[in-house]
Amino acid sequence: MAIKEIRELVRQPQLLLLLLVGPILIMTTFGLSLDVENLLRPRALIVVEPKSEGARLFERFREEFTDRTQFVGTTDAPEAARERLLRGEVDAVIFVPEEPLGTVAGGRQAVLRVVYNTINPVFGTRVPSRSYSLVLDLNQSLVQAAIEEEIGNLRRAQGQIADLDRRLEQGSAAAEALSSEEALDATAGLDEALTNLENAARVWQSVGPGEDRNVSETLDRIATARQALEEVREAQEAGAEELEERSGLSDLRESLASLQEALGQLPAEVPARVLANPFALETENLASPPPVVGFYAPAVLAVLVQHIAVSLGSLSLIRERLSGAHEFFEVSPLGPGRHLAGKFLAYCGLVLGANVAVAAVLAGFLGVPVEGGFTLLIVAMLLLTVASLGLGFVISALARSELQAVQVSMLLLIASGFFAGFLFPLEQMTQPAAGVSYLLPASYGIRALQDVMIRGQGISASDLVPLLLVAVVSLAAARYLLGRKRH
Amino acid sequence: MDAIGAKGVVRRLGGVDVLKGVDLAIEEGEIFGLVGPSGAGKSTLLRVLTGYLEPTEGTVDVLGIPPSTFKDEDRRRVGFMPQGFVLYGGLSVQQNLSFVAGLYGLRAGERRRRVREVLEFVELWEHRRKAARDVSGRMQRRLQLAAAVVHEPELLFVDEPTASLDPILRRRFWKEFEQLRKGGRTIFVTTQYLGEAEFCDRVGFLVDGRLVAVGTPQELRRRAFGGEVVQLALAGDPGHIGDSLKAVESVGHVIEIRQDERAEEPVSHVRLISQDADATLPLVMEALGEVEVRSVDLPTPSFDEVFFRLVKENQ
Repeated sequence: MAIKEIRELVRQPQLLLLLLVGPILIMTTFGLSLDVENLLRPRALIVVEPKSEGARLFERFREEFTDRTQFVGTTDAPEAARERLLRGEVDAVIFVPEEPLGTVAGGRQAVLRVVYNTINPVFGTRVPSRSYSLVLDLNQSLVQAAIEEEIGNLRRAQGQIADLDRRLEQGSAAAEALSSEEALDATAGLDEALTNLENAARVWQSVGPGEDRNVSETLDRIATARQALEEVREAQEAGAEELEERSGLSDLRESLASLQEALGQLPAEVPARVLANPFALETENLASPPPVVGFYAPAVLAVLVQHIAVSLGSLSLIRERLSGAHEFFEVSPLGPGRHLAGKFLAYCGLVLGANVAVAAVLAGFLGVPVEGGFTLLIVAMLLLTVASLGLGFVISALARSELQAVQVSMLLLIASGFFAGFLFPLEQMTQPAAGVSYLLPASYGIRALQDVMIRGQGISASDLVPLLLVAVVSLAAARYLLGRKRH
Repeated sequence: MDAIGAKGVVRRLGGVDVLKGVDLAIEEGEIFGLVGPSGAGKSTLLRVLTGYLEPTEGTVDVLGIPPSTFKDEDRRRVGFMPQGFVLYGGLSVQQNLSFVAGLYGLRAGERRRRVREVLEFVELWEHRRKAARDVSGRMQRRLQLAAAVVHEPELLFVDEPTASLDPILRRRFWKEFEQLRKGGRTIFVTTQYLGEAEFCDRVGFLVDGRLVAVGTPQELRRRAFGGEVVQLALAGDPGHIGDSLKAVESVGHVIEIRQDERAEEPVSHVRLISQDADATLPLVMEALGEVEVRSVDLPTPSFDEVFFRLVKENQ
């Protein structure tokens, strides 16, 4: 029976060619055409009013826009942009507000409006998710710029305080000097410095990581120093005599000394980028992801193995039953066991041979990895083939027509696409989809082939055992169903 | 020992009794023809006899063993030719036959020898390398016959081998069966062509799941007509000749008296039944007296007529 099946297959060179060339062509086309990086970046058209504050903002932060999207260009014609979106020439249109900073200064958030047009609930999310990242980037850049400015103010205030302190030291010896024009300027400068310092400390407090005691203390000391400075300035205005009588001058010096000490403790040298982004992301992938073709190749091979095996198996018995060959065999010494065994051996050889050849071509010409080696790959494919053939034989034994057998095979193929980890990760499956995936040999086959080909590991027990179980149960069921029909 | 024996066989399919108590005994070395219209239950009876179906009631013995308990060696003693072509169109004529020979356990050398012998027997040796799908329908049918006999079975079941074939090929098939019978084989053939009963050693008429008559073709004819048919052509109008003929002791009855008005001279055709034509004819001639007898014939009635009479008789 096995030799007969092989002879019959060999006499169909087109079929063999199709089995070999078809998958290779599909994978090659797929590998040459798909750019995952671009797939995830929407083509974006920016709508912005020329010479507006929004336009200046866009130019200033242009990279934030172009990094997150495939930047198509800018336009000042919203309707034309919308038309291009509807025609599918772009994936998103981003409207930059005319006066973003003015809006913020008015106490409201400036809105970056993004319009897109998609019915794809999976890949369609790339526009909102990329837009969200774009807004985050923009906000961070703006905050970073503000922090850079405040740090400059802080450093300037530090210098002014040190300078004034020296003057006050001299002023305590000659009170007249403090009421001089120059000293009046110095205390006014100090007032401004303390204001800047307070602003910087407050920004620092809001963007810093958690609660910083130093910043709180600094703010307290600024308040004390401001109080003392207030007294000194009042005295300055009253004249030199008043200055000597007032104790405010020494209080101010004490406050300034304490303030300098507190400022010294602030990490003023921290770059604005770090202050704006206190947390950085560091990821480590324990596996080495292959190129996109390399990742999909095991899944394609697994689904291919299952589909060919199920199709061959499901058509084999029903075809004989409908043609009358089954009755002919039943009268002959060929029992149902040997009948199945013959077909099983021939189909096993064919499916395995064709798919190992496909894998070899993919590895040789497309660089698809086979990290675990071909021996393990053959074992994994063999397990999947055996389980799938068993399933095919059961379908064939139960089907009432060839059309029915083909339809069930196609249903299994579609189910494998959705539930076996081909399109969506198996780990994300919840019931009842998970229940369906347990029944599909491809679910275990895809994982096993990925382990062998990409991770370079052996076949895990969680894949090996179910595949063996499906194989044993389905082959036993097919044998029973085939024998039962005799009576 | 009978090659096939069946007693009270009932087979129910889908709640309907397709066979309704069939009793049958087929001797070794004979061609037994199971004749009946479409839907009579011929294929079902054949399937019960080959062991493909078990009888719902009754017992069946084939080569002395119930076929449902056949072991491999028992199956090797039986050959089966299904109604249609069930072999593989993609394989060559020779590969198909070699495959079937392998199914029946023929080893390589013997297989080669038998494949050649049988292909020559059915005159397909020259076409052995052609794909089965590329040969004509009649060649496919002969290939199917070759597949049924390649392992030299003692008993051959043949299901409607001549269905939808032209008369020449049908005749050829019967010649091949005759040859196989001469080789000592027992052949069980089903056919819907009543005329083919003529080629069988014994015939069974199956109607609506019941075997209404079994016997040799001659026996069935005699049973259908109550004896042998004698046909006379008499000159002119014989008048009340019917009564004279009926009076002859060995004449069973007169089937018909018909005047042929198209003939140049008036002729009357008389058909009568006799238990023994040889003994009856002189008495008939005597009874006819002065009537001129143009011709005397002992025609073989068609099996259509035989079948019709026997079925009617059973109803």
